[in-house]
Amino acid sequence: MSTTTARDLARPAPAKASSAKPRRGLRGSATFNFWLFTGPFLIGLAIFVYAPILWSLWLSFFEARFTVTPDKFVGFDNYTYMLTNDDFVGSLGTFTVFAAFIVPTTWAFSLGLALLVNRLRFMRAFFRSVFFLPTACSYVAAALIWKMSIFSGVRFGLMNTVLGWFGIENIAWLADPNPPWYWLVIVSARLWLQSGFYMILFIAALQNIPDELYEAAAIDGAKPGWQTFRYITLPQLRATSTAVVLLLLIAAYQAFDEFFNLLSKTTWGRPPLVELYYKALGESQDYGAGSAGALILTVLICAVTLLQGKIMGFGRGDESK
Amino acid sequence: MSAMSSSNWDRRSVLRAAAGLAALGPLAACGSNNGRGGGSGSGTNLVQYFHAYGEPGTEQAIKRYAKAYKDANVTTQWITSADFESKLFSTLLTDNAPDLFEFHPQIQMVRSGQVADLTDIIDPVKDDFNPADIKSHTVDGKIYGVRMIDDPQFFFYRKSMLEKANVKVPTTLDELMEAAAKLTTPKVKGLYLGNDLHNVINPMIWSAGADTLDDKNEIAYHTDGVIEGLKKMRKLFTSGDLLLGAPTESWDPSSLNQGLCAIQWCGMWAMPQIQDALGDDWGIFPFPKTIDSGKQSVYNGGWSMFVNAKGKNVEAAKEYVKWLWIDQKEYQEDWATSYGFHIPPRTSIAEKATKLKSGNAAEGVMLFNAFGHFDNIGWTQAMITALEDVFANCVRKNMDPEAALDKADTAVNRELKKLFG
Amino acid sequence: MTTTMPEVHKSAPTSDKPLRVRRGGGVMSSTGLYIATGVAALLFLVPFYILVRNALSTDAEITGETWKLFPTDIQWGNISELFSDETVPFGQSLWNSAVVATLHTAGILLVCSLAGYGLARIPYKHANKIFYAVLGTLMVPTAVTFVPSFVLVSSLGWVDSYRGLIIPGLFSGFTCFLFRQYFLGFPKELEEAARVDGLGYWGAYWRVVVPNSLNFFAAIATITFIQGWNSFLWPLVIGQDPSAWTVQVALSSYMTNQTVNFHLIFMATAISILPLVFVFLFLQRWLVQGIAQTGIKG
Repeated sequence: MSTTTARDLARPAPAKASSAKPRRGLRGSATFNFWLFTGPFLIGLAIFVYAPILWSLWLSFFEARFTVTPDKFVGFDNYTYMLTNDDFVGSLGTFTVFAAFIVPTTWAFSLGLALLVNRLRFMRAFFRSVFFLPTACSYVAAALIWKMSIFSGVRFGLMNTVLGWFGIENIAWLADPNPPWYWLVIVSARLWLQSGFYMILFIAALQNIPDELYEAAAIDGAKPGWQTFRYITLPQLRATSTAVVLLLLIAAYQAFDEFFNLLSKTTWGRPPLVELYYKALGESQDYGAGSAGALILTVLICAVTLLQGKIMGFGRGDESK
Repeated sequence: MSAMSSSNWDRRSVLRAAAGLAALGPLAACGSNNGRGGGSGSGTNLVQYFHAYGEPGTEQAIKRYAKAYKDANVTTQWITSADFESKLFSTLLTDNAPDLFEFHPQIQMVRSGQVADLTDIIDPVKDDFNPADIKSHTVDGKIYGVRMIDDPQFFFYRKSMLEKANVKVPTTLDELMEAAAKLTTPKVKGLYLGNDLHNVINPMIWSAGADTLDDKNEIAYHTDGVIEGLKKMRKLFTSGDLLLGAPTESWDPSSLNQGLCAIQWCGMWAMPQIQDALGDDWGIFPFPKTIDSGKQSVYNGGWSMFVNAKGKNVEAAKEYVKWLWIDQKEYQEDWATSYGFHIPPRTSIAEKATKLKSGNAAEGVMLFNAFGHFDNIGWTQAMITALEDVFANCVRKNMDPEAALDKADTAVNRELKKLFG
Repeated sequence: MTTTMPEVHKSAPTSDKPLRVRRGGGVMSSTGLYIATGVAALLFLVPFYILVRNALSTDAEITGETWKLFPTDIQWGNISELFSDETVPFGQSLWNSAVVATLHTAGILLVCSLAGYGLARIPYKHANKIFYAVLGTLMVPTAVTFVPSFVLVSSLGWVDSYRGLIIPGLFSGFTCFLFRQYFLGFPKELEEAARVDGLGYWGAYWRVVVPNSLNFFAAIATITFIQGWNSFLWPLVIGQDPSAWTVQVALSSYMTNQTVNFHLIFMATAISILPLVFVFLFLQRWLVQGIAQTGIKG
C-alpha cells in the first residue's frame, strides 16, 4: 500500500524531469532566470542611476565649482558648510511644515472625493473623470494657470476679480509673503493636480470591501453613515491609506516644480530641493556643496521612511515573502 | 559618433542589446539631428547660444548674420530666458557645449577656465569701445568678452497720469514714495519694480552713495545709507502703492502698457514697444537718490559674447566673434537699434545711430552717460544671490536690515575668499 | 480582457459594478450628495474653463478691466497662429512628445515588469538585497544626480536624440517596485500549471502571467505615459535643438519669452493637454481596475 502511494506520487517527477532534460541546462536554473529577468533593468539602473549617484558622492568630497571633474579634495568641508547653513537647515523645517499639512489634507480630500463618487448612482463615470482629469496636467501647465490667471496679483486675476465683487482690494498672492497667501496658491495647485489620482486608489479599495461586512454590521445594528464608516470602511482602507501616505510623503519630499515655478527668487517657502537648486546647483554651480546637501537629504528621507514603515507597517509583508 | 571611443561603443551596444531595445536603433537615429549640418559655406561647424530676446525679429537677425559668414557654419540656439543659465551651464560641462555664447562678465568663468582670452581680437579696436565696457571684461590685463550691447535700466512713467495727480518727476526716494501714493487708484498702482524687486537692488545701493564691491574687491554695500534705503524700500513695499503679483516681470513693459501702473522700472530695449502702445505719453528718469547725500543712478546692463575655452573650435569661434562683433559694424548697428533699443558699446557706431539721437532715446543715452554704473566682473552669481536674499528677507519680509546684511556678508566673504584668496 | 480576470483575481471590480445600496443613505440625502459632488466638480473645472477662455480670447480681453465670462469674438485664429509660429516648432514638438512618451511607456513596461517579476518570483539568494538596492533609489532626489546624469548621457553622444530622451528614464525603481508588489500577489497556481506543461520561467511569464495581467499593465502604462508626456527638465537639456524639443519645452518657451503673449501661451497649454485628456478618457476604466489589483495596497 504505502509503496504504491509513494510510487504514484513520485511518478510525475521523473517523467517531468526526463521530458524537460534535453532543453533544460541553463534555462531551468533559477539563478540564470533571475538574471535574465532582472539583468537589463539592473544594468540600466547601474549605468543611469547608480553611476550618477556615486559620482555625486565623490563630488561631495571635492571643491567642485563649475566642474564635475574636480581635483581639490576637501574632506567633509561641503558637509559642514551645508549643515551649518541656516537656509538649508531652515528648508528642512519648511518641508516638515509642508508635509505635515499637505499629506493629511490630500489624504482626507481624496478619500472624501472617493466616498462621494462611490456613492453616486448616476453620472458616476462623469464625475470620476472630472476629478481625475487634472492628473493629466503638468506642473508647468498648472503653474501657468495659477500664476497668470487665478492668483495673479492684478485686477484681471480670477481671485482678485471675485474679491473685487465684495469690495476687497487686490491681493498680491505670490509676491507678498505677509500674510503667507502663497501657501494657499501652492496647496490648491497641488490638491488640484494630485487628489484625482489618490481618489482612484481609494475608489479601487472601496470597491474591494466585501459587501458581507456591511451586511453583518447592519445586522449588528450599526447605523449606516459615521458608524459604518468608522468601524468598517476606515479599517478596511488601512492598507491603501498606508500606501497613499507613503506616496504622498515621497511626493512632498520631491516637491520642486510648483515651488520653483510659482515662487521665484524668494527666501521663504523653499523646500530642500529648491534650496539646493538655488544654493548649489543652478546658477552657482557648486556641485560639491550641492551633492553634499543631497546626500544629507537622502540619509534623512531613508531614516524617515524606515520609521514610517515601522509605525504603519508598510513593507512588513515583504519580509515574510 | 565616429569620434567616440571604442569602449563607449562596447558599453552602448551591450546595454542596448541587453535591454532588448535594439529595435529602437533606427528610430533613435532619426532623432539625432543635432542641427549642426546644413547651411552654406564649408569647413568648421560652430554652435552659438543666445537667450531669447523678446523683440520680434531678433532671432531672425542673429541667424541672418550667421548665414552671411562664409568661413564656418554657425548654428544658433535660441533659448528661453528663464532656462538659459541652467542649460548653458550644464552643457558647458560636456562635449555638446556651444562654441560661443552670450552672457554677462563674471570672474568665476575666467577663473575656472570656461571662457577664452579674446585680447588679441579686441586690442586693435580697444579705443573705439566704451572704456567701461573694456574694464568690466578685463581680468589681470586680459580681455575675456566682447560687449555687444549696453542696456541702461531706469524708470518709465506715464506723463498724463503724473500730470493728472499733480506729481513732479521724483528725484529722491522719498519723493518717489510720495508719488507712488498719489498715483495709486483702485484700478492703477503707482509704481512697479518687478514682483521680486531684485532689479532695483543695485541702483538703490548706488543711489545711496555705496557700491557692491570697492576697488580692492571688498564689501562696499554695508553702509548706513543702504540700511536706510532698505527701510524705505520696506515702507514702500507695505504701502499698498506697489504693483505686486503682475503676470509679467519688469523687463516686459506690459504692466505699464496695459495701464496697471503709472511708473515702471524697465530697460531701454522696451522703448519701441512702449512708443507703439502709448504714443508720446511717457518719459524716463533715473533711480532717485536713496539718501540726500547720494546720487541718482542707472544700471548699465547688457550682453557680451564669450568663446568657450574648452570647445573644439576655439580659434574658429574667435574668428567668428571678430568678424561679427568687431568688423561688421552694419550688423552691430542693426542689432542695437532695429529691434529693441540698445546702446552700441562702440563709439563710432553709437555716434551714427540716428534712432538714438532724438526724443526719449536720446534722453536714455544721456542718463546712461551721466548716471550709469556698469557690471563689476568680480561681482559673481553667488554674491548677486546673497543681496537678493537681503531684499527678500528685509524688504519683502520684515527682517532687521543690519542682520540681513550681516548674513549676506558671510556668503559674499566666502565667495571672495575663494576667488581672491 | 476583463472576462479572463475574475478567474485570476478574486475581486476584480469594474467601475460599472452594481451599486451597493446599503452603503448609501443616512448621512447625506441623494440631493445633498449631488450638490456636494457638483460643487466640487465645478471647482475642479475652473482651471480648464480659464484655459479655454483665455486660449480663445485676445490679449486685450484677457487683461481687460472687467472679467469677461467668455470672449465675445471667439478667436479660432489663435490656433493657426500657434502652429504657424516659425520660431517655436509646436507641431514637431507634439510629435516628439508622442514618440517619446509612447516609447518611454513601452520600454518601461518591458524592462520594469521583467525585473519586478524576477524580484518577486524567482528564487535567488541575493534577491532581497537587490530589491533594497532598487528601493533605495527612490530616496535619492533626482534633482541631485541630474548634472552627472546629463554629463554621462552626453558623453554617450545621445544629446538631441530620441534615445537620449528615452533610455535613461527607463530604469524606474518606483515602477519596478510596483510590478514586484503586484506579482507577489499573483496566484502561484497558474504559473505552476504552466511549469507542469513544460514552460520555463520565460515561457510562463509571457504565456500566462502577462496575458492575465493586462489590466495592471494598462494602469501602469497610463501613469507612465502621463509622466513621459509631462516631464520637463530632462527634455530641456537633452533637446538642444528645437527639432528635438518636446511639447513641455516648447510650452516653457512661450512662458519665458521676454514678451508675454497671453493668448498664445494659453492656446499652447490647452493643446498640450488635449492628447492626454483623450488618453485618459479612454484608459481610465482600466486604470481603476488595474489599481484595484496592485500591490499599491501595501
